[in-house]
Amino acid sequence: MVEKLISDVLQYGGYAVELLLVCLLVFRGHYRRLVVVTFYVSLLLLTDGVIRRGILDHFGISSRQYWYCFWLTDVLLALASFLVVCSFFRRACLREDKMWRFIRQALVCVFILVLGISSLSLSRNYSQLTASFIVEFEQNLCFTCVVLNTLLYLLMQQIESPDEELGLLVCGIGIQYAGPAASFALAHLTFGEHFSEFLIKLMMPVCTLGMLLTWFYAVVRMPKVGVVRAAAGKFAGVEEAAAGRV
Amino acid sequence: MVLAALILILSTALFFFYLQVICQRILRRRFEQEFFQSIVNANRLEFPSVRRAIEEFDAPVDYARLRMMLRCDFLALAYLLKNAANVRQRYSREERLLIFYFRLTSWSLFGRHLLRLREKPSVLKLTAILQYFANVVGERVNTVRFGNLTAADYLLNV
Repeated sequence: MVEKLISDVLQYGGYAVELLLVCLLVFRGHYRRLVVVTFYVSLLLLTDGVIRRGILDHFGISSRQYWYCFWLTDVLLALASFLVVCSFFRRACLREDKMWRFIRQALVCVFILVLGISSLSLSRNYSQLTASFIVEFEQNLCFTCVVLNTLLYLLMQQIESPDEELGLLVCGIGIQYAGPAASFALAHLTFGEHFSEFLIKLMMPVCTLGMLLTWFYAVVRMPKVGVVRAAAGKFAGVEEAAAGRV
Repeated sequence: MVLAALILILSTALFFFYLQVICQRILRRRFEQEFFQSIVNANRLEFPSVRRAIEEFDAPVDYARLRMMLRCDFLALAYLLKNAANVRQRYSREERLLIFYFRLTSWSLFGRHLLRLREKPSVLKLTAILQYFANVVGERVNTVRFGNLTAADYLLNV
């Protein structure tokens, strides 16, 4: 009873923040600057609040259809977040053309590798998508995103990026995937005990909510700080970085 | 199995790392002026002297006394954050996150004390959080006006 109440609160809270963030990005015109972020949050709202919800209401939580829908849309979201991380790399390297050329090639290779391994792995096991396979698959996919995101964070430190907004957006993605990767790994280690299953159910919406709130803070609060600092002439690259399409 | 254990350890560490980075970025916010001084003076808060003692004089840390001082300052500031010139009478999201961060850092300080590791970085983090809270309270109080007077002017004229 308590578990259901907690997961319902987190789930509906998540829908509300997703909707709020999409409205904020669209109606305040931030979507021009944050194209990929807007796409990702809209996709999140579409899969989380519309597709999954519709299938859940139509087929029920214990149905096979909902099970397939949930995990397949989750893979789709993980691949979309990979694209978000790539766009963050682009924004971080806005003034580093040489580095960006190298990173672009590396990212394309990693994307093809992730897509290839994911597709191969899914197609081989599509007829028998067992819980343990899905848990292991998701754990690896989330961890890949976390590693890539951490490399981006380190790159930003290395080039001393003055883009505060990007820093928070990167941290948001880090929270979104580090928590679930840890809980999937725990589930894998404990062979899917009730506690670890509950932890996965809890961690995924909590981390998504954490990411959305961090992005909300980055979009609503950080530009003001950026403008003040740019005006003070302390960080010359802020305006350029803020103008960069992400 | 080894890979899963490795992913568990690294992901948990990175989760807390990103949480800390977010808090540090919130704490980097620049205020128009040093609002915290008036709040510190009015409420006799002790965190600036603690920070000065550690930063400038590198004084040895009396753990029990220091923990009590910071705890008292935290309780006073948490009360003021919620009730002083706050129309909504509740914490904002970033304040809640920073309160959580303060508690987490307090536990880390406790852990460092038990393991006899350096306590200075944790103490400096705690004082930075308290300074942020004092700045927020000061900024709010500064914007409240009684007629043509700010709250600070009003109190000085009483």
